[in-house]
Order: sequence, then C-alpha cells, then structure tokens
Amino acid sequence: MHIPDGYISPTTAVVSYLVAIPLWMYGFKKLKEKLNEETLPIIAALSALSFVIMMFNIPVPGGTTAHAVGAVAIAILFGPWVAFVSVSLVLLIQAVVFGDGGISAFAINSLAMGFVGGFVGYYVFSLLKDKTKYAPFIAGYLGILASAIVIGFVLGIQPLFWSDNGKPLYFPFDLKTTLIAMIGVHLIIGIAEGILTQIVYKIAESKGVLV
Amino acid sequence: MKRVLFIFVGILILLVPLGLLSENPAWGEWDSEYFKEKLGFIPAGIEKVESVLHLKALLPDYSLPGANEVVGYYVSALVGVLLIGGFYYLIYFFVRKRA
Repeated sequence: MHIPDGYISPTTAVVSYLVAIPLWMYGFKKLKEKLNEETLPIIAALSALSFVIMMFNIPVPGGTTAHAVGAVAIAILFGPWVAFVSVSLVLLIQAVVFGDGGISAFAINSLAMGFVGGFVGYYVFSLLKDKTKYAPFIAGYLGILASAIVIGFVLGIQPLFWSDNGKPLYFPFDLKTTLIAMIGVHLIIGIAEGILTQIVYKIAESKGVLV
Repeated sequence: MKRVLFIFVGILILLVPLGLLSENPAWGEWDSEYFKEKLGFIPAGIEKVESVLHLKALLPDYSLPGANEVVGYYVSALVGVLLIGGFYYLIYFFVRKRA
C-alpha cells in the first residue's frame, strides 16, 4: 500500500502535504500528552510491531502480495491521533531508509494508512465494543480496507487529470481498476489486520492497560 | 503489557524471513519494467523519478546490498525497530525535559 515516488503528480503530492502537515502537528501534540513512563514503551513497541508486520508480505490471488499495517491496534489503545502519528513515523523511516513508499507520497501514504485507517478503526471499535467481542477484529478489517480505498482512489485519479495526449504521465490505470484491485486485495488482507488487532487488544485487556 | 509486546515483536522479527516467501510485488508498487510490459511505455513521471530516487535508500527494499536476502531482511527489521524505538525515547526525553 506504499505509493512510490513518481506514481502521483506533484499537485497531488503538494495537496496531500498541505492536508497532512496541520494534522501531524495536532497529532504530535496529542502524542506528547499521552507519553509517560508507562505508555512510552507500549506505544514504541506497537509502532515497532507496525513496522515489522508490514515486512510480512502475504501472497494474494492475482499475483500480488500485501501486508497488515497495525494502525487500528494503536488507535484502539491510544486513540486515532496517536495511531496517525505513529504510523507516519514508521512510514517515514520506511521511505527514507528502505525506499519503501515515496518521499513525495509520504503524506498521502500517512493519511491513508495512519489517519483514515486509524480513525475508521477507532470509530468502528467504539460503535461495536459493547456489542461483540470481535469488535477489534472488525475494526481492523474495516480500517485497513478504508486505507486501501484511499490509496486506490488517489492512484486512480492520476490518469484522469494528468495525461499528455492520452498518455498518462503518472500512475496509468483508471479508477475502476485501482479500486477493484485495492479493495479485492484488502478484503483478504483485512483478515490479517483484524487478527493482529484482536491479539493486541487481548494482550492489553489481560494486562489491564485499557483506558 | 510491554513485556508481552516486546516478546511478540521479538518473535515476529525471528519469523520475518517468511515475508520473503513470495517474490510478487504489492499491487501498485511495481518496477518501471512492469509498465513497459503492460503499456508499451513507462509513464514519464515514473521514468523520471525511479532512477533518481529509489536506489538511494540505505537498505533498498529491506536488503543489505551484497548480502544474502535473509540476512538483509533480518538486518532491516532490526534497524527499523531500533530506529523507531530510539525516536520515541528521544521524543519522550524532550517532552520530559521541557515539563
């Protein structure tokens, strides 16, 4: 789900940074409020978990792979803003050190995987937590699916707006293709995100750290 | 909880070579060759950027240049986790200092 450099137009990149920067600033403030001796190692470990889990490329029918993100687990335990900032930090390190995800796409990748994934997961969990014990699973499943839809949308609008005589300049495939692909893949990968979220929630529950 | 999580992350790091089992790239994260094959050309923006930026990463695609694939993947997992951990302790250090 990491958009590389060159796949999105400079306009898309600039707009996504303009949206992300104030959100990062507010989110960072929220993170600082939540950080204390007790939460620090947990938030750091969950972020590390997010990093490592993204290295597990799971084969999906259609000749591709995808991975869980771990955003929803952080969102449920520490709130969506902390999830957004934490996943952004992970994505920044992935982009700079490992070339996974573009620098120009860092903002949109953060908005999709961190912000949208975190917020959707958080609110789905809030709605369902008193109704079913599988609320974390469902939250994880829908959270990553929402992230995938955002990525599919951003990729799919590229040829619509940025073509030269019918030749796409950036990502070439149309919206229908990208949405079907991203949704299709993450209908399966959602299970991985769901299981991960449920496990982390169970650990937190058993240790009495839930707020 | 932190102990359980540390163990959980540790186990995942040990298992991380499993992430290499499939050679297939993620959907929408292809090399420019893919576009050439599918479209007959590489979109200008992608062609321009790929050669310039992508290969400059320290551990490109979670590999250690010149090293075995699995070794590179292990090194990448450890480097990533240490960087992330370090970042949080640094942030916390400054937060506490100011308080």
